[in-house]
Amino acid sequence: MGFISGSASFVRFSVEGELPENIWDFIAERVAAFSFQDIDDTYDEFSIGWVSVINMFDSDFEYASYANGDYVTLTLRMDERKVSPAIIKKFCAKEEERLKKERQLPKIGKAMKMEIKERVQTELMRKAVPVPAVYDLCWNLAESTVLFFSTNKKAQAQLEDFFKETFGLLLMQQIPYLTAEHLLDEEENEQLPRIGPNIFV
Amino acid sequence: MDLVDLIDEKRFLGQEFLTWLWWKSEERGGSILLPERGDITVIFEKHMLLEYGEGDTSEKLVCSGLQSELQEARTGLQVGKKLEQARIQIVHAEQEYNFTLAAALMEFRSVKLPKTAGTEGGISNDPEETEGMILERIFLFEELIRFVNELFRLFLKIRVAEQWAEELEKIRSWVNSSVRSG
Repeated sequence: MGFISGSASFVRFSVEGELPENIWDFIAERVAAFSFQDIDDTYDEFSIGWVSVINMFDSDFEYASYANGDYVTLTLRMDERKVSPAIIKKFCAKEEERLKKERQLPKIGKAMKMEIKERVQTELMRKAVPVPAVYDLCWNLAESTVLFFSTNKKAQAQLEDFFKETFGLLLMQQIPYLTAEHLLDEEENEQLPRIGPNIFV
Repeated sequence: MDLVDLIDEKRFLGQEFLTWLWWKSEERGGSILLPERGDITVIFEKHMLLEYGEGDTSEKLVCSGLQSELQEARTGLQVGKKLEQARIQIVHAEQEYNFTLAAALMEFRSVKLPKTAGTEGGISNDPEETEGMILERIFLFEELIRFVNELFRLFLKIRVAEQWAEELEKIRSWVNSSVRSG
């Protein structure tokens, strides 16, 4: 939601670094290499990759559907298996009780507790259904800017890392000061670092 | 300077821009002249967030109401709070953009684009139609950014020049007069 329909929230990034000459071949190859891999039928805890902005189940990008004019539009999808700490605690206590009865133990030792916790956690994680999160982005190739449709800081950090991993390019968030550097001419830019905050009363 | 320090140290720039924009929009009853576009309408409405101080000691003040009821926000300015978020409407050539600008990081939130035939149809089964819809939405998002950047440039050119002292006096008297009249 947001980029394709309805109301949207976004931040701007500039893309730092050079793309090779055969831009579209490079992008096709990198997007395919870093497309999303489903973990529903595996025991993996986490998966991150690119899917189509139209359909989160499409990671094949038939007819290079990420290409829109001079723009690359992609959705960053992250699926993660999560189990709440309260559930882990509950099943650990249950298992400890069961073992105490079964083995006639007065008390469960520290090492055994650790072993139970690890085993319970693995079992619950395997049963957990991966929770998906999707974030859209729009990359303007001509201006080397990216709109990322989330103001969530964690998602932004994950985007920066994964974008770098995929394309070997750095993203730099366009906070007002950096935007200002792009908007002013050379002479004005010399003045920019010298200004300090003013009080408006 | 790395980005974290830059965000911290230059936080004021976006907030001063937003405060200046509020004053500028009221100076000529909602009209602002952009050098290459002519007049655009900029209206501050409904919702504002002001802050004072930084980090753990910062105070926040949320004001909501109709345009005429933003007196509390002006009072906030008078005690030295800075405008951090505002709900803004920009109108140009009968196209209306509504968005919340978060000033320190320049985040665009809850952006509502103008309604156009191309973007109202939703996702189509025809890939060409879908591409057309996506391109139209991209154009509108970028058009909004261009408006905000042109307004920001208008502010910056004065902010780094000697003219700023005069502009600051005008803003100060606007802040003070609105409090007196309230």
